[in-house]
Amino acid sequence: MSISCAGLTKTYEGGKAGWPALRGISFDIKPGEFVAVTGPSGCGKSTLLNILGLLDEPTGGRYALNGRDIFSLSDLERSDTRRDEIGFVFQSFHLLNRLSSLGNVCLPMMYAGADGARMRERALSLLRKVGLHGKEKKTPLELSGGERQRVAIARALANSPKIILADEPTGNLDSASSREIMGMLTGLNAEGITVIMVTHDKELAAMAGRNLRMRDGRLEE
Amino acid sequence: MKALLNAVRTGLTEIWAHKTRSVLSFLAIAAGSVVFIDAFSAIFATYELIEKQKEVSGMARVKISQNYSQTYSSPDDYVPPPVITYEEVLSLREKMPGFYMISPEGRDWRNVLEYRGERLTTNVIGVTPEWTKRDFVYTLRGRFLDWHDVENKLRVCVLVKKAAPPPGNSFNKSMLKKYNFTGGFDTLVAHNDMLGKLVNIDGFNFTVIGILEELPYSKRPSTITGSSQDYKILAPVTTLIHYNFINANQSLDLSIDTGSEQNFEESLRKINNFLKIRFGDGEFFILENQLEIIRERIATSVKSALVTISLGMLAFLAGGIGIMNVTLATVFARTREIGIRRAIGASRRDIMLQFVVEAVMLGLIGGVLGSALGYLWGVPVKVMLGMGGSPIKAWMPLVSVLIAALTAFAFAIYPAWVAASLKPADALRAE
Repeated sequence: MSISCAGLTKTYEGGKAGWPALRGISFDIKPGEFVAVTGPSGCGKSTLLNILGLLDEPTGGRYALNGRDIFSLSDLERSDTRRDEIGFVFQSFHLLNRLSSLGNVCLPMMYAGADGARMRERALSLLRKVGLHGKEKKTPLELSGGERQRVAIARALANSPKIILADEPTGNLDSASSREIMGMLTGLNAEGITVIMVTHDKELAAMAGRNLRMRDGRLEE
Repeated sequence: MKALLNAVRTGLTEIWAHKTRSVLSFLAIAAGSVVFIDAFSAIFATYELIEKQKEVSGMARVKISQNYSQTYSSPDDYVPPPVITYEEVLSLREKMPGFYMISPEGRDWRNVLEYRGERLTTNVIGVTPEWTKRDFVYTLRGRFLDWHDVENKLRVCVLVKKAAPPPGNSFNKSMLKKYNFTGGFDTLVAHNDMLGKLVNIDGFNFTVIGILEELPYSKRPSTITGSSQDYKILAPVTTLIHYNFINANQSLDLSIDTGSEQNFEESLRKINNFLKIRFGDGEFFILENQLEIIRERIATSVKSALVTISLGMLAFLAGGIGIMNVTLATVFARTREIGIRRAIGASRRDIMLQFVVEAVMLGLIGGVLGSALGYLWGVPVKVMLGMGGSPIKAWMPLVSVLIAALTAFAFAIYPAWVAASLKPADALRAE
């Protein structure tokens, strides 16, 4: 799935002229690429990732996902695209603490209307894949940070997305867990999934195939 | 359908996860349900009373009795008031053949009945077979008085066997103990099979041809005009006149059912004309327009039921606002969760459905709880308190639960819309 951005801008409301988070960003990402977006805090990395993941709308510019202009998509189509084509991995995991690991992984499939037994089977296989076999019934609160992020990765993979958007996926993890998570993301990329990762960490960024450096809402590539 | 099931599952998890909040929401809605069921049953009871009134007591009723409160400016003005005799009754019957019932009653307030050496106070009332046409809340053993008995002034009588007093109502019980002068007679009839036996009333022998057993209070049809008066011994009115139980100065009371509610005013006018022609313009008799009383009582019952329904509506409104408040609080408390769900693919419709379903489930469970409480209040508790059970029909709790669910639905729409309108990125940033 290709990504094409041209002159993307995002201005948050506030003050007279608002606060510009993105000031005209243009880039293309080919299917199967592993791209790291780096830059100092407040440079607009997460804003860019939110826009790429259809969680937020740009103020201006053009963003085409697989050739389709996202401005032409209805809210329902955006939700469907998020559900079926994109997987998210967040710094603070964003798991539902009331649900078990299995329940969290099932959630995207539930919204896709998957059959109960098939959904469970797939969720179990994904949890096995991320090394959480036997911890299906544990809630996120009963898991370590690394394990939570693995649940998040399993959830991101639930509907077999073509793109994984990871926002500081190792930001809350120790170095060992960070390596494991990076290993998984690299592995997924090797399977053909496009991975776009926002990070501060230059070492991690070096593991990506391509770096997009941002400063003050602009790309420095 | 799957989305709905998932929303139900999520809703149940949420309700279970926040038990205190959920129970408070249930109670708010349950209060509405209880009041509504009470109001429904009150309205139903009124209509049941009206139906029973039509069936048992009749609607187009008039009572004629002597006016005892006539005043005279001086003793010289006093003239003995005219009386309604049995001949007058026959004449009225002849002139008004269309009337359903013209039942005369002549009474001797205090009589002595002798039976197997026992002398007991009682009272004998003279009636005709028409007496059975209305307010007949008895089962008859033997036979009732017939026209042969009346025409031949036979010394036959029917005894009334009292039913056991209703449970509760201790005030009535103590009053009955204190002032029931005919208690001995009631006990005699209750414990002896006197059918076919000879009894002596004020020196005259009468044959007991029938026993009227009062229906137990639980089986007695309730009517708007309430219970009829206390009868002890019924005998042909002509016999009582002939043997001077009812003397020549005593007027017979008349209980009339004109038969048709539609022509009631016309019938009333005819009765008035009859009395005027017979007895002149003086206000010698009182005509009790019972239809008017019945209508007033129906209006009062309906009015009080409407007041109760209004209270029910207010209670539901309060419950609905409670649910709205709880759902809004839930939306704000779960903003980040909404963001997460949106990020993994939930549409606005999914989020809206989730919150609406959760609120409707609060309403449904509250409605069921309220219906159970309403039933407990309406049947066992009211019976224990001596207020009489409410006629709760199966559809009443169902309607009540439905209204509870609809109220919850209506009040959940706004908070659910707020939840669905949150931008995913903003919702994810929420603390």
